[in-house]
Amino acid sequence: MPLNGIIAIAAALAIGLSTIGPGLGQGKAASSAMEAMGRQPEAAGEIRTSLILALAFMEALTIFGLLIAFMLVGNIN
Amino acid sequence: MNKLFVGIANAAEAGHHAPVATIFGIEISSYTTSMWLVMALLIGVSFLATRDLKWFASGLQNFLELVVEKLLNFLSEVMGEEKARKYFPYLATVFIFILVMNYCSLLPGSGTISWLTTPTSTLSVTVGLALCTFSVTHFFGIKEKGLSYFKHFFQPYPFLFPLNIVEEIVKPLSLSLRLFGNIFGEKMIGMTLFSMIPLIVPLPAYFLGILFGAIQAYVFTLLSAIYIHTATDGHH
Repeated sequence: MPLNGIIAIAAALAIGLSTIGPGLGQGKAASSAMEAMGRQPEAAGEIRTSLILALAFMEALTIFGLLIAFMLVGNIN
Repeated sequence: MNKLFVGIANAAEAGHHAPVATIFGIEISSYTTSMWLVMALLIGVSFLATRDLKWFASGLQNFLELVVEKLLNFLSEVMGEEKARKYFPYLATVFIFILVMNYCSLLPGSGTISWLTTPTSTLSVTVGLALCTFSVTHFFGIKEKGLSYFKHFFQPYPFLFPLNIVEEIVKPLSLSLRLFGNIFGEKMIGMTLFSMIPLIVPLPAYFLGILFGAIQAYVFTLLSAIYIHTATDGHH
């Protein structure tokens, strides 16, 4: 059934596209945090806490995409 | 729209077993029984550790004291020593509870034994936890500041009121979806890899599961602490 194929492609696009933005953002955040840690090792603990917080907010976007993908896959019959 | 909800229900119930038991017409799912197991474990360990308290702690008591101290230090960094002590019971309970629930997926037989599964891999449990944080935040806010707590909905400008309301509603939504998505996704990856190649190959996924289980419990507690901190923060 062609509709199932379209839903499958939509699911793949939902998770595939939604990883690109957060992936780039997380890479940028992590690289900056590591630079900061290298420059100021004594502030590493604080930087790590805010880094994980920032990563969690970006991660949420990917998770929304993953959820949409799961919902679409659940519609395939 | 209706199909959407059917889809999310299917996704959330994928791998869901038939109800384990029925008590007074209420169906008890495997998620509930797993949560009972976690509760019994936590209560039992705490009871054993605190039954015979000593000034110079050793063994189990020592370990639990270490856990409590580390959690208190971490919360003090976020919201200050005084507040951390005040809201410690709720936040520490949430952290330990979520951590042990996430690690349920590492138990042998989890997912195949009918009454044992990962409770946080269903949306119902994570939404319940997020609603706990939501109500606790506003309760503490009103308790701390009285009616002037509602002023922050009209700041910085009164016409931003709808946006502030949306923000408050999005908080528990993203909190629950983040936890659910991570744990459920982790479980799915493990199951998929296992069904393809049962030996060795799923191992990295399980190591990642250990890491993500801890990080998600950490993030949930951190965000709850920050929400409570901002809700009870005085304007001075």
